[in-house]
Amino acid sequence: MISRVLQKPARILYALIFLPVVGILVFATLRPIQVLPRITLAPGFSLLDQNSARLTNEDLRGHIVLYNFTYSDCAAPCPQTSEVMRALKNRLGEIDAGAIPVSLVTISFDPDRDSPERLRAYANYAGADGKTWRVATGDATRLKYALGGGFNLYYAPNADGTFTFDSLFVLVDGWGIIRAYYKTASPSVDRLARDIGLIAQEARNSTGAAKYAYEAAHLFLCYPP
Amino acid sequence: MIHVHVYEKWWIGLTVAMLIAFSLAIGVSGFMMGIQLPSPEALVNPNTVAKQGDFANPGLKELAPKKYVAYIRAEANPWKFRPEKIEVPVGSTVTFYVTAVDVQHGFKLEGTNINVQILPGQVSKMTATFNQKGEFPFVCTEFCGVGHQNMFGKLIVK
Repeated sequence: MISRVLQKPARILYALIFLPVVGILVFATLRPIQVLPRITLAPGFSLLDQNSARLTNEDLRGHIVLYNFTYSDCAAPCPQTSEVMRALKNRLGEIDAGAIPVSLVTISFDPDRDSPERLRAYANYAGADGKTWRVATGDATRLKYALGGGFNLYYAPNADGTFTFDSLFVLVDGWGIIRAYYKTASPSVDRLARDIGLIAQEARNSTGAAKYAYEAAHLFLCYPP
Repeated sequence: MIHVHVYEKWWIGLTVAMLIAFSLAIGVSGFMMGIQLPSPEALVNPNTVAKQGDFANPGLKELAPKKYVAYIRAEANPWKFRPEKIEVPVGSTVTFYVTAVDVQHGFKLEGTNINVQILPGQVSKMTATFNQKGEFPFVCTEFCGVGHQNMFGKLIVK
């Protein structure tokens, strides 16, 4: 019997060692807190939106931002990603983000043709209101570094004026950290809404002692399935 | 306190010290040095991976100047990597996404620390930066069948 073999100080010592180990195992297995991974820093950019207003990454600090990437001439069979953005915009009211604003940003990688007028026409067609959902573009060379280098988006112009590109949605939190990539033209709106909710929940709850619980969730990779 | 022989005490102490040392080594390498085990980057359907998606037209894609992604498909019958030749300018950072369509293969890129198992249905992801000109051969390191020795290619840094 352990109790007969070990004296009291030894029992306390063993408890001090094993209780945290068991606690960590239980936490890492049951995942009582779920977080989205902090993937990398989002790139900096300075763009002009459909109302010719300046839009920079710093303007979006403190916002949870979902980015998608396309160009206004994108017609079938070019994948249409604006429908997902529109569906999500209509559901923003249901997402409990607290006081944290949620923004949608569509970036065009065709600045040579996408003037503010064309962007405005695209925004009207897509349903971008210019406040929660903005459509923007900028200098071609800098866009290549921001979108390709920063967001890992592949796009290349073709001879006929169309673009070859990979469909991509990127979710960025209020600190400017990329939290999720969705490498598809039609991610589930439920999942997008859930992920936005998770970021908002983490920002709201990680104060005081709970902050360490959230850091532990990052440490033990407590990611949602 | 029960009697424990002094040698046994030493051995018990030694094993406990080793346990603590190895646990610390795992903690330091994982959390401070950022060393991670290769984990599946993504799951794909091996039956359709050659027909649709990123691996249907494998090859090099330029994301930005000197930043590339390379999609590589390993296949048996005929045994080969697709593509077998990749060219990048010096100073490039290349992220490799590799998958297999049939059986287990390997992917080892000479001159880098890239050496990974390639399993059907799973995507392996590795990144390397090439600051020197030259040719870097890549080979299959898992015996995958009778054409195993034909599975090689090269990355040329210009």
